[in-house]
Amino acid sequence: MNRHLLISFRCLLSICFVFLLVGFSYGQKNLTGTLTDAATGEPLIGANVVIKGTGTGTVADFNGNYSIMAKTGDVLVITYTGYKTQEITVGSDMVYNATLTAGELFEEVVVVGYGSVRKADLTGSVVAVGEKDFNKGVYTSPEQLIQGRAAGVQIINNSGQPGGLTTVRIRGNSSIRTGNQPLFVVDGVQMSGGSSSPSGANGASMGDTPGLNPLNYLNPSDIASMQVLKDASATAIYGSRGANGVIIITTKKGKLGSPTIDVNTSVGFSTVLHKYNVLSASEYRAALSEYGLTTGDYGASVDAQDAILQTGMTNNHSIAINGGNENGSYRISLGYLDQEGIVKNNDIRRLSASLGGGFQFLDNKRLGLDFNLITAQTRQDGPPITSNADFRGSLIGNALQWNPTHKLYNDDGSPVILPAFGNFTNPVALLDAYKDQTNSVDIIASISPSYKITDDLVYRLTYSVTNGIGSRRAQIASWINVQDVEGRGVAGIWDKRITNQILTHTLSYTHDITSKINLNAVAGFEYQKLDERGAGIFAKDFILPVFDYTSILQNSSQSSRNISSYNNPSTELQSYFVRAGFNYADKYLLTLTARSDGSSKFGANNKYAFFPAVGVAWNMHTEPFLANGPFDQLKLRAGWGQVGNSEFPAGAAQERYAFQQGTIALTNVANPDLKWETTTTLNVGVDFSILNSKLSGTVEYFHKDSKDLLFQFPTIQPAPAGFYWINLDGDVINSGLEVTLNLNAVNNNNFRWDIGGNISFLSNKLENYTGPNLPYGQLFGQGSSGATSMRLENGQPLNAFYLRNHLGIDENGQSIYADDESLSFLGDPNANIQLGFNTDLGVGHFNLNLNFTGAMGYQIYNNTQMSVIPIGNLGSRNIDASLLDGAQQEATSNAIKASSRYLENGDFVKLSSASLSYDLGKIGTTFKNTRIYVTGQNLLVFTNYSGFDPEVNTVNVTADSGLPSFGIEYIPYPSARTILVGANFSF
Amino acid sequence: MKSHKYLVLLGLAWLCSCTNLDEHLNQDLTKSEAEAYLNAHTDVNAILKSAYDGLRLPFLDQAQLWALSEHTSDEVLGPTRGPDWDDNGVWRVLHTHQWTADHAYVGATFNALLQEVFTTTNILNFNTTPQQASEARFLRAFAMFAVADGWNQVPYRNPGENLLNAPQVLQGPAALDFVISELTAIVNELPVAPPVNKANQDAARVLLMKAYLNKGTFANRQSPTFDAGDMNQVITLADAIINSGKYSLDGNYFENFAPNNDANSSENIWTLATEAGVNPGPNTGNGVRSRWFCTLHYNQNPSGWNGFTTLSDLYDSFEPGDVRLGGSYPGVTDVSGLKVGFLIGQQYDQDGVALKDRKGNDLSFTPEINPVETGNNLEVTGIRVVKYPPDFENGDFKDNDYVFFRYADVLLMKAEALLRTGNASGALDIVNNLRSVRNASQLGSLDLDGLLAERGRELYWEGWRRQDLIRFGHFLDARQGKAVSGPERLLFPIPAAALSVNPNLEQNPGY
Repeated sequence: MNRHLLISFRCLLSICFVFLLVGFSYGQKNLTGTLTDAATGEPLIGANVVIKGTGTGTVADFNGNYSIMAKTGDVLVITYTGYKTQEITVGSDMVYNATLTAGELFEEVVVVGYGSVRKADLTGSVVAVGEKDFNKGVYTSPEQLIQGRAAGVQIINNSGQPGGLTTVRIRGNSSIRTGNQPLFVVDGVQMSGGSSSPSGANGASMGDTPGLNPLNYLNPSDIASMQVLKDASATAIYGSRGANGVIIITTKKGKLGSPTIDVNTSVGFSTVLHKYNVLSASEYRAALSEYGLTTGDYGASVDAQDAILQTGMTNNHSIAINGGNENGSYRISLGYLDQEGIVKNNDIRRLSASLGGGFQFLDNKRLGLDFNLITAQTRQDGPPITSNADFRGSLIGNALQWNPTHKLYNDDGSPVILPAFGNFTNPVALLDAYKDQTNSVDIIASISPSYKITDDLVYRLTYSVTNGIGSRRAQIASWINVQDVEGRGVAGIWDKRITNQILTHTLSYTHDITSKINLNAVAGFEYQKLDERGAGIFAKDFILPVFDYTSILQNSSQSSRNISSYNNPSTELQSYFVRAGFNYADKYLLTLTARSDGSSKFGANNKYAFFPAVGVAWNMHTEPFLANGPFDQLKLRAGWGQVGNSEFPAGAAQERYAFQQGTIALTNVANPDLKWETTTTLNVGVDFSILNSKLSGTVEYFHKDSKDLLFQFPTIQPAPAGFYWINLDGDVINSGLEVTLNLNAVNNNNFRWDIGGNISFLSNKLENYTGPNLPYGQLFGQGSSGATSMRLENGQPLNAFYLRNHLGIDENGQSIYADDESLSFLGDPNANIQLGFNTDLGVGHFNLNLNFTGAMGYQIYNNTQMSVIPIGNLGSRNIDASLLDGAQQEATSNAIKASSRYLENGDFVKLSSASLSYDLGKIGTTFKNTRIYVTGQNLLVFTNYSGFDPEVNTVNVTADSGLPSFGIEYIPYPSARTILVGANFSF
Repeated sequence: MKSHKYLVLLGLAWLCSCTNLDEHLNQDLTKSEAEAYLNAHTDVNAILKSAYDGLRLPFLDQAQLWALSEHTSDEVLGPTRGPDWDDNGVWRVLHTHQWTADHAYVGATFNALLQEVFTTTNILNFNTTPQQASEARFLRAFAMFAVADGWNQVPYRNPGENLLNAPQVLQGPAALDFVISELTAIVNELPVAPPVNKANQDAARVLLMKAYLNKGTFANRQSPTFDAGDMNQVITLADAIINSGKYSLDGNYFENFAPNNDANSSENIWTLATEAGVNPGPNTGNGVRSRWFCTLHYNQNPSGWNGFTTLSDLYDSFEPGDVRLGGSYPGVTDVSGLKVGFLIGQQYDQDGVALKDRKGNDLSFTPEINPVETGNNLEVTGIRVVKYPPDFENGDFKDNDYVFFRYADVLLMKAEALLRTGNASGALDIVNNLRSVRNASQLGSLDLDGLLAERGRELYWEGWRRQDLIRFGHFLDARQGKAVSGPERLLFPIPAAALSVNPNLEQNPGY
């Protein structure tokens, strides 16, 4: 394993040095020219000019101007995406202007997995988002770039933590128990979905820290485009990993021409988007007197939320060098991101580098070699914020419930420590007492030789390794009054290594069978192997209150030490796949796809899964009867296919005995019939464009039916305390309608205006389910031990809230519940409507880009409000200010009960990014394509939700059933509003 | 030429990458590897120890069998204290007999007990000595008895049966017959106490007594009958224990529960060994300390969870001076001010300073308690019970052995058997003898209700109350904090997850 990796690295490094040397040029005279669109006369910014047969080339600047050193007789090859290539032979002139005509309208090529197809040939549901349509701003991970940009794709930042997890749902939740995240594919390399950051329980009452985003290592500025494959006819090529949809990320590649250096630099600051509305000191005093309470006023006036929050500075810089000639191209980039959180002591720093290239060899250029290396080192200083703290809360909980009349600091500036025994923790003291640093190194390396056997047939081999190594050190000082920590001190060190190797062979075949029928096919074999292992040590009882405990673990008490390590069963996947696309006269399209996946995870009786799909499309605008119609494009598409979800843990099908201290014990019972969940999707859509392509759009209907639902049950008793996995009968139905519209409203030299929008209507339901009605969606906090908020039941949507119906407060100040407190279904967190809206307005050199996202028709359970700041805190701790608004005064003794009282509509519309830029074009002779901008993220939020942010998902997993929650907020990291200024230029 | 190239490439492609997809477990062992290892290396004593440790979760944790046995009775109430302790009503519904089929603790207890049935059965797969086998069978009988008592259905597998297949289910009376036959078969194979913190012959006799005493109840919980033969078995077994001369009532009642009680108490017949300061491992629940954590206020030492209370009717049934009411205890009161037994009124620290609650009110426990407390005094309502004098010496893992069986219970069961077979005076003698040791007045007469009350005073918070109330026909009665409940409450519901994987189980009526 390690040797494999080393060899790949060495290969890649030596290859890159060789090709760096290739790109230099020599020249004779300086030619200039302007490149414009033949139709509009607009400058072709970034068009390539290359001297044929050499590596010399350049790129047109903002005004379409270029300059290049060439000699008489050279041929300038001018290329621009979407336009026909033009060649100019250099004569005696010094100026060569060119006007390029737009190519065939639908020449755009879309990456669809193991190859690409012309957009016009697509039969499945695929959304391609290019760099110019990415959301503006600073993002630590790439999925946020397309938030709101693709219909039916919901992207939720689980919290405001930089580098935190996101919830990505393509056309809803289709699995109850296993993962619902889509498959990410980076430059053809399928990701495992696991993060290299070890999670670790800190052993205190504070709970477990949430994980970090597994894609944190990708620098968004290295990404050229993202494709979202939504329906089974598009994702069937990924078989047992395709059920949740696929997001294909393509990084930037080298361009033809002499080396160009691109620089992006931005600095910015973040502040809290919205604070929780708890009482201020004066409001608190007023409330105390209103309630006739004599305790609880300590005389000071503080705002504990402000005390833990800061203005976080962000620095984001990247530099990329690219170049190439007709023998090959390369791109090298370096990136540096340092993003401070809005919570003090929280910071994420990433150093990233990428190196990619593609080269052709042999006289006939039939041998090709592509390689790609992406690596990043990420360091996170984590805040003491957890997802499952008990009633004592973690940092945010402590800050929300801090009595605003109690000083936070002593006169000498040290934080106040309240005595133990029932008192709560000073959040600023907790910040001082807590240290948690995660360092991780991630690498994706791939090498891909190809050979053009005939003009029609290409063989390609791709070998890739994705490797992540993470280490985490966390400690809490003994002087902090947190249960199990005070007087003891705790510290732990965890490490994790995750390795994914993929070997793929493909044969691609493109052939005109007749003059009208074209075949575009790919067939392949693939082998994948995923390994994950890790270890942790954890100890308590350190003799000094202040020290770096993780450096002196031997100082801990023997009995408190806890050692563990793991090495998950390897997951091996062996697959055969084929896709054939038939095109009859660009009129009728047929795509057939099939994949057979054999997985080591599957039970012995179900080793191989087969996933077929078919897609058809009809380019109606090419028919004579529509020849004079209004449509520039009118395409009907329909697709049917089956895909799988096999995101259950390795070893789930086998009887397994685990090693425990001094013994072994059965932990998992075999199920030789265990298999994947199968999702059958029907997709019908129409793509159209009218008014000379000024208005285009897509309308799609889909119906997804997921069967063979995976569950993990406790063993059939009497049995050991283990689990077994089983596929149960039942159908999770997701269906919906998606509408996307794009309007190129105005397009001339000085005024450009594009408007785009999408809306999705989704519904989700569990049908034909006869398994147990499992409670889940665990709630945390005071008075909520073991309380759940959701219930799995036939006929209901997944994650349906099952609660008491709260009717109000009675004359005694006590809550009134309907029907003798019986529980009923009162809502669900699955948004019925998702919105995206963006507009791009250009006036002269100015450009304004706005991006709105929104979701409607769903509920959030506000566990924060319920458990952390209830009325019962009055007299000791702080409360939610809205509790005093009611017509009937609520008694401080009112019981905390999980109920509809804490179920809030999550409906929101956000101005998630707004960017104003100014193009300076060329500055002097050195800087080209110079652009300066100011960007705001999360500038406006329209919502009635009372928490930090309606975009929230504090995931917890209910013990035994292992069902993950969705749509609960529990003292999460607050969301930030960010303002950035930056500049891009190249030379 | 073309086809030649094809073939070479295709051949290469397929050759260099094929796997049979065998899953390598890395960190775990497969069944055959594990069996080979276990057969060659198993120290049966070690797995026997894990079987003993397997009792911790279901029997010691505050949210398992103890909660199901005590909260449902007239001895314990887990009130909702305003914003605290509602826990979705999970405690409250136990006391008010309104639990539903998906009650988390009912399901968790069912599973934990049956895991113990498995662990003990599994030992019999190995080369055991007769004594080791008898210990395992005793522990299995103990766990099966608890399942039969609570759910009336006991899933059962013979040693080595495939865990994938749904096991057979023994109905309550059949399960009890099995328990009796097992105990009868092994009683003489078991070791002789002391030590009392291991399965022993007298412990088997106590469990047999409980089996015979409850036999008619398990057959018909709504109107139990008591067969004279069964009662005579109880008397005979009790006499064997009494006549051994090894046990006597301890003048220091709380010594039965204090640190080092396995050695110091003269009453304990079977306890769960706890090694002071040693972590018994994962999945063992909250240990014996949860008995005081669950009841003590936050501002007491040890700092508790300010949860469970007892009911004033129980407290009021004691005479003043009864040592079972408790008081100061050496090693506890001098260290923290905490007293043992029933805590009522103002609480103090070790220096005699009156404690306050978190709102600044006097920490003075009141006898009144409701299932939902809403007053300004909601932190201090309810009488607290400290049955186990806390161990202040050892950190997280205390030196108090958890008491399963003790001599006083044997005496009271014998008295009950005598009473149920018409020998009221014999029963009265036993009870009065006990009462004199406990510094309570002599009773003039004794009926079943009187005996039930005495069992309450003697065995409060020890986990037997539900069984006693059912046997005496009073489980469904209205009492403090509870109205009359329906006969379905005599059994707990079978958890939904268990029903869906074992078709041999049937949901108990009324759920």
